[in-house]
Amino acid sequence: MRSSSYLKMALTILLHSKIRSWLTIIGIVIGVGAVVGIMSLSENMQKDMEARLSEMDLTAITISPGSSKAMMAMGPGGGGGGSSSSSEDTNLTKKDIMALRSVDGIQYMYGQISGKEDVYFLGEEAELSITGVDPQVWQYATTDTAESGRLLEPSDNYVAVIGSGVAEDVFDNEVGLNQVLTIAGKSVRVVGILESEGGSGDNSIIMPIDAAVTLIEDAEPDVYDSIIVKAESMEIAENVSAEIEEKLMLSRHVTEKDQDFSVTTSASMVETASDMMESMTLFLAAIAGVSLVVGAVGIANTMFTSVMEKTREIGTMKAIGATNRDILMIFMMNSALVGLVGGILGVIAGSLITALFPLLGMQMMGGSVSVSLSPRLTIFGLTVAVAVGVISGVVPAFQASRMKPVDALRYE
Amino acid sequence: MSDNFAEGSAKSVDLSSLLKLEDVWKIYQMGEVEFAALKGVDLHISKGEFVVILGPSGSGKSTMMNLLGCLDLPSKGTVLLNGKDISRLSESELATIRGKMIGFIFQQFNLIPTLNTLENVMLPLEFQNADPSAAKKKAVELLDLVGLSQKARNLPSQLSGGQRQRVAIARSLAVDPDIILADEPTGNLDSKTGTYILDFLYGLHKKEGKTIIIVTHDVALVRYAERVVHIKDGTVESIEEIQNN
Repeated sequence: MRSSSYLKMALTILLHSKIRSWLTIIGIVIGVGAVVGIMSLSENMQKDMEARLSEMDLTAITISPGSSKAMMAMGPGGGGGGSSSSSEDTNLTKKDIMALRSVDGIQYMYGQISGKEDVYFLGEEAELSITGVDPQVWQYATTDTAESGRLLEPSDNYVAVIGSGVAEDVFDNEVGLNQVLTIAGKSVRVVGILESEGGSGDNSIIMPIDAAVTLIEDAEPDVYDSIIVKAESMEIAENVSAEIEEKLMLSRHVTEKDQDFSVTTSASMVETASDMMESMTLFLAAIAGVSLVVGAVGIANTMFTSVMEKTREIGTMKAIGATNRDILMIFMMNSALVGLVGGILGVIAGSLITALFPLLGMQMMGGSVSVSLSPRLTIFGLTVAVAVGVISGVVPAFQASRMKPVDALRYE
Repeated sequence: MSDNFAEGSAKSVDLSSLLKLEDVWKIYQMGEVEFAALKGVDLHISKGEFVVILGPSGSGKSTMMNLLGCLDLPSKGTVLLNGKDISRLSESELATIRGKMIGFIFQQFNLIPTLNTLENVMLPLEFQNADPSAAKKKAVELLDLVGLSQKARNLPSQLSGGQRQRVAIARSLAVDPDIILADEPTGNLDSKTGTYILDFLYGLHKKEGKTIIIVTHDVALVRYAERVVHIKDGTVESIEEIQNN
């Protein structure tokens, strides 16, 4: 029999199939839709992240107290040892900045403190994050730009640059330039409003560190929550980061084992984030994969029933000259078609899900997520669906092909 | 036409029978008990014969039809088709032989319900890898022959019993087989339609010299036969030659 005839036979079986087959197809639609939808979400987020990466300041290096390495080493290693290195009693101070002066390749460097404080504006109250920075350096080191007003200047004291979110969304009344916020009883004048960048930065207040120290609880002069370093170029950022680590270990008298600070480049942060996202996607896709497996079992079940129902037809076809191979191919093709139809509908469902992401507020990273399914994923979805159909059809089709014509014809 | 027939009879004395059963046994295992449906049957059918195999239910006539139609293999003995022992053939070789040489007509018509009339008639040709356009042409001709060209696009469920059996006859003729094997072809039809079907088969036999084998319990069909094989309890009770022409 020709392949076109197999296809025709399989198609007529599908077209005349009962509601059962269509219910089976729904199983595949859900499975493929979920897998494709989740993969599309992840793909779009990845793209979004890459776009962000290209905008990002990859020369930035952040030094923070406490060490992820030390924590990890203490867990399974069991050697708690003498120096307990929690971030509580390890601080970054002016001493550290002095120690890093000699590192090559640093363009700018400043200490930074941050905290959350109640901010009052025109009788309203909101808890906002306040960042204290070195006004001499920050204006050069930051990638932020002022939408209106200006950035901080060396002579500034109780003034603030606020994120666009603080200006527009936090309070009922819009906060404008030269208006005054009250933080911890002090009046702080707004001198600049930053351009929106779609992150948590939009809701923060940036102030000169000397003033911020007096506003933020627990803050002490010359003690920093983090030290921000800008390397001269992106290429040397990794090297600079390594050298900073070395220098600080020397000056703080720690070794790799009890290191009480960590140095992260923004590039490595992006990497970590994307790694995390990847494993999350994998996890979700695996769950969606389970529904595909359930769908496959459904197809197999339906195929077995269908083969049983068509026993007499199989007998007839064998009587009038169908070989085992003919019967096998007809039922395999039928099963593959069930998969394909499920796949097509599933891909449509998946692209609908993709289109719905922005509406559902799933703008994880803030940016706009594209709303179309990539051709690669479309083909992937269809291939998986057909493969599921073929695999779940193998055994029933084989069973059908091995029926003895006499027995099949006698079947009632 | 009668020349044709005479030629057919002449061949029946020929050694090369079209179908030959030699001491054929068919034994079914039913749990602990063995049941012999056929007990050492000898029979030969020549090309161009019109044979009715007659027997009550349980006589073993269905088993015999299965063997004659190469649908089943004997437990013992040999079935020769054109001098070839079918027991030596593989499943797919048997399928090909069935497809090429034997046209089946069933009591239940056994049309494929998902295919329309035309597609049903084309199906045997498709199993033989025939060219689709040639197959279609042939099927249209055959539907015309059985007077159903108007119903080419109808599904079997939209046809009456008699119409379905005519489609089944058209299908059995699709590959132009030597043998037409009919199992109770009138069993599900009223007598008028049944007569039409049998007249049609008789015409095929007369005009085209087809070998027709009908398996039935209905004595009324005997009048078409040149030879009646009486089956009882798994053996050939008697063979009756009928000179009705």
